[in-house]
Amino acid sequence: MTTPLEAAEPAAVQAAGPGDERSTRRGTLQYALSKSGGALFSIAMVIVGTFFVFRLLPGDPVRNLAQGRNMTPDQLNLERHRLGLDKPLIDQFFQFVGDTLRLDLGTSYEYKRPVLDLIGERIGPTLLLAGTGLVIAVSLGIWQGTRAGWRPGSRFDRFSTGASLLLWSVPTFWLGLLLMMVFGVGIGPIPGIFPFRGIESVDAPDGFAYILDVASHMVLPCLTLVAVVYAQYLLVMRSSLLEEVSQDYVTVARAKGLRDDEVRRRHAVPNALLPTVTLVFMRIGFVVGGAVTVETIYTWPGLGQLFYEAVSVPDFTLMQGTFLLITVSVIVMNTLADVVYHMLDPRVRSA
Amino acid sequence: MRKWFARLAVLGVALLVAGQGATAAQAQEPAAGKKIVRIGATQSMDSMNPFLAVRLVSTSIHRWMYGYLTVPDSKTLQPSPDLAESWTTSPDGLTWTFKIRQAKWSDGQPITADDAAWTFNKIMTDEAAKTANGPAVENFASVTASGQDLTIKLKTPQASMLDNPIPIMPKHVWESVTDLANYDAEKYPSVSSGPYIAIEHKKDQYVKLQANPNYWRGKPKVDELQVIFYDNPQAAVAGLQKGDIDLLGRMTPPEFEAIQNNPNIEAWNTQGRRAAYLQINHGATTTDNKPVGDGHPALKDVKVRQALHYAIDKQKLVDEVQNGLAKPADGSIVPPMYKDFFWEATGDEKVTYDPAKANKILDDAGYKKGSDGVRTMPDGKKKLEFRFTIHTETPIEDKLAEYLTGFLKEVGITLTTVKLESSKFTEETGVTGNFDIAISGWSVNPDPEEVLATHLCSRRPAPNGEGGGTESFFCDETFEKLYQEQLKELDRPKRAEIIKQMQERLYTQAPIIAIYYTNDLEGYRKDRITSITPVPEDKGLLYGGSGYWPFYTVDVKATAASGGSGSGGGSNTGLIVGIVGGVVVIGLAVFLLSRRRKNVADERE
Repeated sequence: MTTPLEAAEPAAVQAAGPGDERSTRRGTLQYALSKSGGALFSIAMVIVGTFFVFRLLPGDPVRNLAQGRNMTPDQLNLERHRLGLDKPLIDQFFQFVGDTLRLDLGTSYEYKRPVLDLIGERIGPTLLLAGTGLVIAVSLGIWQGTRAGWRPGSRFDRFSTGASLLLWSVPTFWLGLLLMMVFGVGIGPIPGIFPFRGIESVDAPDGFAYILDVASHMVLPCLTLVAVVYAQYLLVMRSSLLEEVSQDYVTVARAKGLRDDEVRRRHAVPNALLPTVTLVFMRIGFVVGGAVTVETIYTWPGLGQLFYEAVSVPDFTLMQGTFLLITVSVIVMNTLADVVYHMLDPRVRSA
Repeated sequence: MRKWFARLAVLGVALLVAGQGATAAQAQEPAAGKKIVRIGATQSMDSMNPFLAVRLVSTSIHRWMYGYLTVPDSKTLQPSPDLAESWTTSPDGLTWTFKIRQAKWSDGQPITADDAAWTFNKIMTDEAAKTANGPAVENFASVTASGQDLTIKLKTPQASMLDNPIPIMPKHVWESVTDLANYDAEKYPSVSSGPYIAIEHKKDQYVKLQANPNYWRGKPKVDELQVIFYDNPQAAVAGLQKGDIDLLGRMTPPEFEAIQNNPNIEAWNTQGRRAAYLQINHGATTTDNKPVGDGHPALKDVKVRQALHYAIDKQKLVDEVQNGLAKPADGSIVPPMYKDFFWEATGDEKVTYDPAKANKILDDAGYKKGSDGVRTMPDGKKKLEFRFTIHTETPIEDKLAEYLTGFLKEVGITLTTVKLESSKFTEETGVTGNFDIAISGWSVNPDPEEVLATHLCSRRPAPNGEGGGTESFFCDETFEKLYQEQLKELDRPKRAEIIKQMQERLYTQAPIIAIYYTNDLEGYRKDRITSITPVPEDKGLLYGGSGYWPFYTVDVKATAASGGSGSGGGSNTGLIVGIVGGVVVIGLAVFLLSRRRKNVADERE
């Protein structure tokens, strides 16, 4: 059953040839360096932008902290002073840039604690939820996309593409509530089985049972997240596979008499995976930002919820901090995606 | 045949594993046998520090944790003894002496007048401590303690002294706190003097409170109160329906209707403590009488404001915007549940829905209709086109705007809706004055002094355009005089009369137009809560009330020891986990089996 392995190698890698190995590596390094430079520049711009954009937002943070209560001008001034809002804007700006470079994201107005601590507490639940969601969405998307793209127009293709597009276009909030009503509360004779608030029960058990408790709390938010995002992986995988199917090497592989299944798995899919890999990397950045809507529906104590809370106060330092974290991770991941793509696909290298 | 056997075996193992998971989880259930009340909240706590906390949910929780000088009586809502067991007033009304009761803090230390004096003095001297309740001590000249006697000297007489909103804090715990502005008081268990002690707080998730064994009235009937936060109101309603929480307050009419047909839920619909009104920009000014904002000049004319009042069909708003769950307002800012202070218009003064009369008032005042049916100002310069400011993402206010637009069209006035996000809303309608008409409302305390004060001249923004806390930018000599009068009047019925006159003034001058008093909409699980006493006791409020009475008197069934019942949300976990585990294992088994079969098929090719 061992057919010649050379044929199984992606055609693209063969084109690079073994002789180019060293120059390729140097090229990648150079490419990575130039990309990193660009990323650093973007991050610097984001830091500057963050400061000014959040000051353009309506609402006086000091008054909002008071929730509309009567405050004397003295009190307002004291509060402004405490938050450093009484200094000239330019001073505030340099203070902010300096602090940010020292990784000091300031103290939250509302929580009265360092923003970095708050982010530290919330990043775990977000990574857990969004990470699991991403893994499931990617696996499901790639698998369905492959099946659909291999036999375009088949019943499976029509069904899965249609279903994923439908879920993609449904408002997340609505879908989340629907799932909550059906699987959380239960409808008619169907009892609700999954919890739909928070990451754990209020009286959470210890040990292994605690893990199960968290797992059960993850089901609905994860399901919502996967349902709305997996379409993009499916579609990218499907279209890039469709492109590969018409390539000569696939025809050759088929002409050699390889089984259909083998041609798909060993020849077409690895090449078609490239755009999907990039997409996955890009999404990892967004994962850190969390799924704000999903976290809000299910009261999930993650970064999304933190950001939502910060915006509704508005808590400038907390907003700045979370926003910076999200944008910086998106930039870093995009840069990584570029570099990885460069390493994997020689067509990008020559271009 | 063998394949079927294998599948059955895997299924058996899966079910076994699932069952194991379920029993393991249930054995861990720590709450078994305890009496726990779980209260849902859609707002999360801003601070555990009572000097800083301003949100409604936080002040409610602090009411359950700390003693105050007085508490509204559960029947009459009049001030009754709490930590102060009795009090006397000097004839000039300037010196108040409170006798603090002999009781203990939850850590066993005695409660003395010194604790109270320290608390008030802290707020009087430390700007940060003023955050939550600064205005409540503004009129205090000095506060001193001697043994169990607390003496408060006032600058001017103040009738609302017995409605002081400040929780008395334990001096021996709090005096070491130096930077109050940044102190979040997350130390557990808290040292408290009220019925409950905070034992755990997970920010934005929940607060756990334990019965205080040293409470002077006696330990509450339940062991633990849990306040469980939901980011999203629909989830909270779903939580009540499922039984994850036992009680939920402050519901909107659609949310309330969703729980009405559930046989396990008592839908609690009573008169509320909230008045909803339209705030009208009748010429916003700062405290030095400089105009601010861009309000429509026509609204400065009291006739236009009165015409607006006649043009509004309040009954229709109640029926169709509030789904009938409110009472049309024929009074002002004090809702009818406060029988002592409620004022209602009668006779000629009473404004009823009468578009013809509204049209006549406007015609007579010279606001003529143009060819497009829209009126213009008497000088012909400006059309009567008003903006109506509402909050973004509040469907009820959208609906209200739709109806008001219709009503005003009948009298030749165009209304356009402006939606503002809540922080911007507060700023534009309360400080900068950039609005014509805005939706507003206030939850009124048993003593209405604070809500009346929001219509005082001094509450307008300072000359630099900052600060204040006005509801209407109102500044009216008659109203001010009455306010000062009621402050001095220690005789309750006489004071109530003056307060009614103030409401009458607001009604006739119409800087605000009360449209309805919303009902208090709550729900609780009657399969769990066996008794709960509202305030006031004759069909009053539960969570939405003031004081701790409902949560001191509440009694529930103890959490079942074996769990698994539909009502115990936490105890369902085992079952859920079991099912999840089962599904996963079965899924995996099916997947593996199908792959095996496929491989076999592959080899056959």
